Amino acid sequence: MPREVVSTGNQLAAKAAIDAGCKFFGGYPITPSSEIAHEMSRLLPKVGGVFIQMEDEIAGISVALGASMSGVKSMTNTSGPGISLKAEQIGLAFMAETPLVITNVMRGGPSTGLPTRPAQQDILQAQAPTHGDYQSITLCPGSLDECYTETVRAFNLAERFMTPVFVLLDETLGHMVGKAVLPDIEEVEANIVNRRVYEGDPATYEPYNVPQDEPAILNPFFKGYRYHITGLHHGPTGFPTEDAKLSQELIDRLFNKILAHKDEIESYEEFMLDDADIMVIAYGSVSLAAKEAIRQLREEGIKVGLFRPITLWPSPEEKIDELCNKFDKILVAEMNKGQYFKEIQRASGKKANDFETLFKANGRPISPAEFKAKIKEMV
Amino acid sequence: MKNIGNLKEFACTPDRFQGGHRLCPGCAHGMIVREVVNATDDDLVVSTATGCLEVCSAIYPYTSWDVSWLHIGFENAAAGISGAEAMYKALSRKNKLYNEDRNVKFVAFGGDGGTYDIGFQSLSGATERGHDFLYVCLDNEGYMNTGGQRSSSTPIGAHTTTSPRGRVSYGEKHRKKDLTMIMAAHGAPYVATAVPGSKHWKDLAAKAAKALSTVGPTFINALSPCTTEWKFKPEDTVEIGDLAVETCMFPLYEIEDGHKLTINYRPKNKVPVEEYLSKQGRFSHLFKPENKWLIEEIQKEVDRYWEYLQRREEAGV
Repeated sequence: MPREVVSTGNQLAAKAAIDAGCKFFGGYPITPSSEIAHEMSRLLPKVGGVFIQMEDEIAGISVALGASMSGVKSMTNTSGPGISLKAEQIGLAFMAETPLVITNVMRGGPSTGLPTRPAQQDILQAQAPTHGDYQSITLCPGSLDECYTETVRAFNLAERFMTPVFVLLDETLGHMVGKAVLPDIEEVEANIVNRRVYEGDPATYEPYNVPQDEPAILNPFFKGYRYHITGLHHGPTGFPTEDAKLSQELIDRLFNKILAHKDEIESYEEFMLDDADIMVIAYGSVSLAAKEAIRQLREEGIKVGLFRPITLWPSPEEKIDELCNKFDKILVAEMNKGQYFKEIQRASGKKANDFETLFKANGRPISPAEFKAKIKEMV
Repeated sequence: MKNIGNLKEFACTPDRFQGGHRLCPGCAHGMIVREVVNATDDDLVVSTATGCLEVCSAIYPYTSWDVSWLHIGFENAAAGISGAEAMYKALSRKNKLYNEDRNVKFVAFGGDGGTYDIGFQSLSGATERGHDFLYVCLDNEGYMNTGGQRSSSTPIGAHTTTSPRGRVSYGEKHRKKDLTMIMAAHGAPYVATAVPGSKHWKDLAAKAAKALSTVGPTFINALSPCTTEWKFKPEDTVEIGDLAVETCMFPLYEIEDGHKLTINYRPKNKVPVEEYLSKQGRFSHLFKPENKWLIEEIQKEVDRYWEYLQRREEAGV
């Protein structure tokens, strides 16, 4: 039976983590994400898990990485300034292939910015949060239901691809109270993905000796297998190397393991697009306002639809290309100065002036009325 | 050093931290900050870590600060003031200051989150480098600006949003970090504790004046009772502060040059810790039968620490 609950996005993210099998949370308080930590401190002990509030953001992610390396599903959460502080350790997670779910409840930036107001200004940060070459997976829920389902999916993807996975909420979704319909718990549990485990002779275990499009196989600690974890370039055993071929292959594989499996990662929604004359592109909480505007405009006879990427990185580039070249009238709306707009232009090959835009970076949500006014100008 | 005088004289000092800010009614932060910044007639540069004080005292287009003021981030009030102080010294050497007749003092304020936890590294570094500044920790024993999470200053047994009480939990599991002693261990020339209590207002102002007239890094750890998250009535702030001293939960002492310890106030009759704990909602669960043992443990620890302070003072080493 699907479960109906009244909750906030932040609480649903915590609930999802527990249902997905998360057993460890390490983090540091920061508005507007702290309620995830509050919930985890309450829920984790009940399922035999561990919650630790650390002394700062860097320690917050480091402890979660340590827990993940020991084999348990692990989570940290923060907001933009916290991601900035965690950046170096996020790089370690990419390099060492440590699965971790990182929830960023976005607020206005840069710097301390607008701590209590929504924004979508960390889209490019999620694509490239740290130095070096790597491929990020970033999911962006667009409703309370998805705060739950996308967090569950984030844990599954992290374990499948042995990589940090970002879930981008924003202050609106995180603090919004409403009804959510969650999938049946048996269904969630039936689809849980756990990291692969090597079961051969410990003497011949080479955790990073895997095909060029597959993640490392990192056995849990305390099970009789030992190996070396480092942020340095490393070879099959995990020990550091400066070998040119191994170094190139490592970075190639960090890309390939994601890009060769985009079909397992990609997710998007097409809403009332079939007969539409105008396409809106929006994601996250902005899509809620877009949908409301679309419903109202359709009552007035204006045919509008929505394309909503759910997996932001890697982007659904083929779909963006197809749709942007099918529609003449396209409105891109974001709570930033056009961060995803750059990706839409790249994927579609179209130029900036082929689109209408609705960008806002003042900490205020984009309202259905603003959408309606803008779309009516385009008719 | 500024002469603090009696309460009337001190209260008539021109205010460098103005009212009208948005701190909670009954918040002790404003009382502490006023006493500190009014304890000198020199010009002031103040840096403030992210926290209740920063967000409530300078909301555009208003400010409470009649001093030069900077806010950088959560973890670097001490690093920010280090830069300002170092540049002041450099300009002073080259005779490039706007007014050679005025002294400038440097003060950093941080909450316990920004001091005990995330800001500790920059505070430790600034103290070790020997910058001439006063750091004041507004210790309200938790992250009160972000919803009342625990910090390493939260006392054992306290309920917070990330150390919640319940059937199996008595709240915070760890002892409050002894930051004052850690700062003294840096060898700082002056380190002190303070409380904005009814008897102790002058203790705080005098300590601030002394710290500001001391050359080198100085530190005041000021307990700041928090009506919102400690769960007591806003009008009881001063009483809670008094009780913290009378129970020896937060004794008043100072340490000079890293070793010379002086106890500044000795309660005539040490009040049992129950008196202090029972007035705060965050400890209410400790009075259930299953948690009474913890109150005894807290009393024992308070007694042990008070004994330690007295012996250390006697030893004078």
